[in-house]
Amino acid sequence: MNKVFEYVRGPVVLVILIVIARFLFPHKMTFFFEISTFAIYIMANDILYGYMGMVSFGQPFYLGVGAYAAALYLAHVGHNPLVAMGLAILAGIVTGLILGPAFIRLRGDYYALINAATCAMGLFMVEKVMLPITRGDDGLWYRSRMHATPLLDLRHPNDVFWFTMIILVIVLILYTWLDRSTLGACFRAIKVNESKMKFLGYDTFKIRWIGYTLMCVLAALAGSMYAINYGFVNPSLTEPARAAEVLVATLLGGPGRIFGPFCGTAAFLGIKDLVSTLGEYKYLTFLARWELAVGILTIVVCFKFTGGVWGTVETLGAKLRAKTRKFTAETPS
Amino acid sequence: MKQDMMAEKGNDKMLTVKELSVSYQKLRVVFDVSLEIHAGEVVVVVGRNGAGKTTLFRTIAGFLSQDKGSIFFKGQDIGSLPAHEVALLGLKYIQQDKHVFADLTVRENLELGSYATKDYDWDGVLELFPKLKTLMDRKGGNLSGGERQMLLISQSLLGKPDLVLMDEPTEGLAPHVITDLKSAFKKISQQTTLVMIEQNLPLTAEVADRVYAMKEGKIVAEVSHKQDIQELTFERYL
Repeated sequence: MNKVFEYVRGPVVLVILIVIARFLFPHKMTFFFEISTFAIYIMANDILYGYMGMVSFGQPFYLGVGAYAAALYLAHVGHNPLVAMGLAILAGIVTGLILGPAFIRLRGDYYALINAATCAMGLFMVEKVMLPITRGDDGLWYRSRMHATPLLDLRHPNDVFWFTMIILVIVLILYTWLDRSTLGACFRAIKVNESKMKFLGYDTFKIRWIGYTLMCVLAALAGSMYAINYGFVNPSLTEPARAAEVLVATLLGGPGRIFGPFCGTAAFLGIKDLVSTLGEYKYLTFLARWELAVGILTIVVCFKFTGGVWGTVETLGAKLRAKTRKFTAETPS
Repeated sequence: MKQDMMAEKGNDKMLTVKELSVSYQKLRVVFDVSLEIHAGEVVVVVGRNGAGKTTLFRTIAGFLSQDKGSIFFKGQDIGSLPAHEVALLGLKYIQQDKHVFADLTVRENLELGSYATKDYDWDGVLELFPKLKTLMDRKGGNLSGGERQMLLISQSLLGKPDLVLMDEPTEGLAPHVITDLKSAFKKISQQTTLVMIEQNLPLTAEVADRVYAMKEGKIVAEVSHKQDIQELTFERYL
């Protein structure tokens, strides 16, 4: 029971904080939706990058798989957003199972670049090859085709927000479980010393394949949530240039940590939002380009805070606990 | 007990390597090596750096593929099996680098050894290295060289392997740690067959039942007489 509480505590507290923030800043509801969905997308990347040390320059492709699976269903076939989400997850699984055996044989820069190439091909597919069904750069619009779903009507932003909170808490609990499970330990061990894992009797190929497929599923889930919330997708979602955003957010939060993806997302989207707002003031127009601020922050993190936001919080917490223990020990009773 | 084991299994071939040749791309480093290891033995492979000892071990463990020759473990051809399957058959390999999983605690490191083999009984290994009991929550990266070696050996012994290959287990360790490990090797050899690469000839003289000497990728001598093992010198064979 205690173990279950350990897994549930953090995710539930985090989601409660988001809900409180949503009521304090009601006009920022879309922003909180974006943070929550983007965090799931970053968790997908973190499984490979943070836990297994595999850097990918093609993450938008996997987001696009989910977004377009949901969008194509809603635009051409059915009307139920929940079915669309299920199909997107299925598309993620199929992508992981088909591409995984080929991709995970590659390491380092080759793995990163084959993902970039796949992302570029994916963009070409949805822009040109599949034009009749994706409508290319014009994008797919299907909000009016979506039917109401039971309990929460996913055609309404307010209900989408609550639905996203439910999904986020489930994903975070599963992510916490993964972090503390044998599978999570295997992911981290592979990052450190893959040959040693083999000598212990682990089929590291299968473990990496599982990790890759999990990444595909989470990214596809995030993609489908975007597709359902906005009732629209276009190829810009899968642009290879957007791969950098994923890596930066992962770095900012702290790779390989349970709450790293969420902190990274909050920092990344928060700075984007803040800087863009400041840029509207007369003497701060130079700040209108958020890339400058995010770039400087990323450089600082790379040089000084390699554990990212959450890693720094953990380090400070550990130091504080140590000081408290020392103070308690020195205080005469 | 060891004598019983050897007497019982004296003729049981645990590992048979026949005319094994291994190359790194076009550079051949092991030439037609043949050796036999019997159940219960402690066999030490000695040789200067670059003699091909580690390559031989890594090939037996399934990490490198051979150009020609065969490897039989407990009568089964393992020459084409990947490393993880060889390990699950009961042939473990401890690398020379003494790398444990630095980000994981000692407990998590041992758990990784357990999960692979489904052997969750740690009493045996903790009896062998009681110090590990006090280090359970310490990260692998914060262990000393000797502690890391203890952890690596313990991890490998989970699953009760029939044969353990150790690549220079005492390299770079303090004399008192080597003394501890020496007594551990003697205890381990009561339960399992040990094949080691060693440069430490006094240690070899104490623990080895048989010694193979390697030079330039070939086995140049097999020494089985205790007296000869004790008089082993690099000058004589290598």
